Amino acid sequence: MLEIKDLHASVDGTPILKGISLTIGDGEVHAIMGPNGSGKSTLSNVLAGREDYTITKGSITYKGKDLTELAIEERASAGIFLAFQYPTEIPGVTTMTFLKTAVNAQRKARGEEELNAVTFLKLVRQKAKELQVDEDMLKRPLNVGFSGGEKKRAETLQMALLEPSLAILDETDSGLDIDALKIVADGVNRLRAPDRSMMVITHYQRLLDYIVPDHVHVLAKGRIIRSGGKELAKELEASGYTDITESAA
Amino acid sequence: MSDQALTYLDANGASADGPAWLDVRRRAARASFADAGFPHRRVEAWRYTDLSRLIAKTDWQPAVPHEGAVLVPEGRSNPFAAIASHKLVFVNGFFRPDLSELEGLPTGVEILPLEAALESGTKFETAFDANGPEAVAPIAALNTACAKDGAVIRLGEGVVLDQPVQLIHYTPDGGATASHTRNVIELGAGASMTLLEAQIGWGGSYLVDRLTNLTLGEGASLTHVRIEDEDAQAVHIATVLGDIAAEASYVANTLATGGRAGRLQTALRFTGESAHAESNTAYLLRDKQHLDTTIIVDHAVPGCTSNALAKGVLDGEATGVFQGKVIVAPHAQKSDAKQMSNALLLSRDAAMNAKPELEIYADDVQCAHGSTIGELDGDALFYLRSRGIDEQTARRMLISAFLGAVMEQVPHAEARDVLSERAASWFEHQTSGEA
Repeated sequence: MLEIKDLHASVDGTPILKGISLTIGDGEVHAIMGPNGSGKSTLSNVLAGREDYTITKGSITYKGKDLTELAIEERASAGIFLAFQYPTEIPGVTTMTFLKTAVNAQRKARGEEELNAVTFLKLVRQKAKELQVDEDMLKRPLNVGFSGGEKKRAETLQMALLEPSLAILDETDSGLDIDALKIVADGVNRLRAPDRSMMVITHYQRLLDYIVPDHVHVLAKGRIIRSGGKELAKELEASGYTDITESAA
Repeated sequence: MSDQALTYLDANGASADGPAWLDVRRRAARASFADAGFPHRRVEAWRYTDLSRLIAKTDWQPAVPHEGAVLVPEGRSNPFAAIASHKLVFVNGFFRPDLSELEGLPTGVEILPLEAALESGTKFETAFDANGPEAVAPIAALNTACAKDGAVIRLGEGVVLDQPVQLIHYTPDGGATASHTRNVIELGAGASMTLLEAQIGWGGSYLVDRLTNLTLGEGASLTHVRIEDEDAQAVHIATVLGDIAAEASYVANTLATGGRAGRLQTALRFTGESAHAESNTAYLLRDKQHLDTTIIVDHAVPGCTSNALAKGVLDGEATGVFQGKVIVAPHAQKSDAKQMSNALLLSRDAAMNAKPELEIYADDVQCAHGSTIGELDGDALFYLRSRGIDEQTARRMLISAFLGAVMEQVPHAEARDVLSERAASWFEHQTSGEA
């Protein structure tokens, strides 16, 4: 699905990622853990194609193709989905209008028939119900005045509608209480499939109790310093990042 | 004395063979305009729109009637055509009975061209005396001195006009010609109507000056929807001078996209308590277009509410101007006045000048004014694109959302759709621009 080789990236001339190599197979869930400032969010933004980030070295291959050649929207239509840590508020664009525009833009880009209003509405209602997103929320401007939980549920709803091949969840647990976290995690787990891979970025082990990863990687100072199975997350929970980053240094 | 003004008046001034009450006013207006001249940048209220310079080096001649059929280019036809209405059409500033629809007017409704109203002996002394505040007075004088035709719309007491009235101005011919029109709109107590006005031109280089005198009686209500789309080489000025009586309401929504340079100036005065006035303007400019939105609201009496909102999208080297002024008289307690200007710059070379002013002499009032100038939100663009929406569509979504506040407030549903569609069609010519 995704193969990252020796990836270096910088923001405004400051190197943030300093040689990341990572391979995610079909259907695998990889957790990326690390302290603040380790480069976790930079990695997710680079994968989504954010233009403020410059790749200075290395390669990203997605489904056998060079990902870096694709524009932001082309990556989305190719199946990459970034669930934002802080979803952007967009006043004046209702959530429903946005969802329909996004779904049909991707269908069009893939040469599929666009969904008509009735079919789309049915689909949204069904998925929204599963994520406890009420209809009133869909009529409101996108993310504007949404609580932390509402924002993350809205992100998960988008993911459910867009059915990506590679979902990148950036600090999905931040700002969520335990009940909200369970709803979001249930939504994510329902989307686990043999042809859908996930990269779950998180600071805390807590999220991984609910979204159980196949592999765990620890990111520090722009490099992956340890990789292991799901038990690595538990180890980090007990010892903290200081031990592991110091022993690697 | 201004030579520029004298030369202009000699060529374009109205002849002095009208009714005596009008000739007196024309002579006074002529003298006053000749004295002050075309407003220029050293006049504070015209600092950002130097009309004297804009019309200089041109030998302006009066517009003449357009003979025969008007061939309207694609995209320039009457935007309100699908809305069943009474209709007055002017071409090059002259009334065209063959294009107008004035049959079957209900009792108590008078709609006719100014020329015909004058011939029938109707006097409009109050309207022609109204020069408005200093910022608009020079143009009021110019208009009084030069206006030959225009629309007269009068509703008797309590008359509620179900169908809107369309006031359509086409300017198909240019060649350094000027037209001055004067509209007089009077609504009796409790009367109510919707006015749909379009100013559309494609004649190249021309000058239009349209002045509308509004008088709303007690409890009267006027919804005014305007589309301004003059030729990209034209200079245009649209002035509204309004007196609003107790409990009356004036709501104006304007979409402006045309002209090389233009000024939409509105001066409203409350003459009775508990009245309401609202002016929402959206303007979309590109290349070297210039548009000045000037609005002055005089809270001369207590307990009135006013709201002025201007939202501009500026691309290329376009410049926008917002001048807002609220005056609250010493005894006008419980006045509530808001003014806001928001501009979205799509290019580094576009510019916006905003000058909100408050003159408040009462102490128990609520007044707010503000101004923002910004670019499209890069985070919002990234978010939309990260969901598969292409950059151009994402930009359009964000610009439409920005204008939404003006469009959504149009009280007439069909007219609201017309304005939204027209704003959307502006994007068809939109280049990628800078993020």
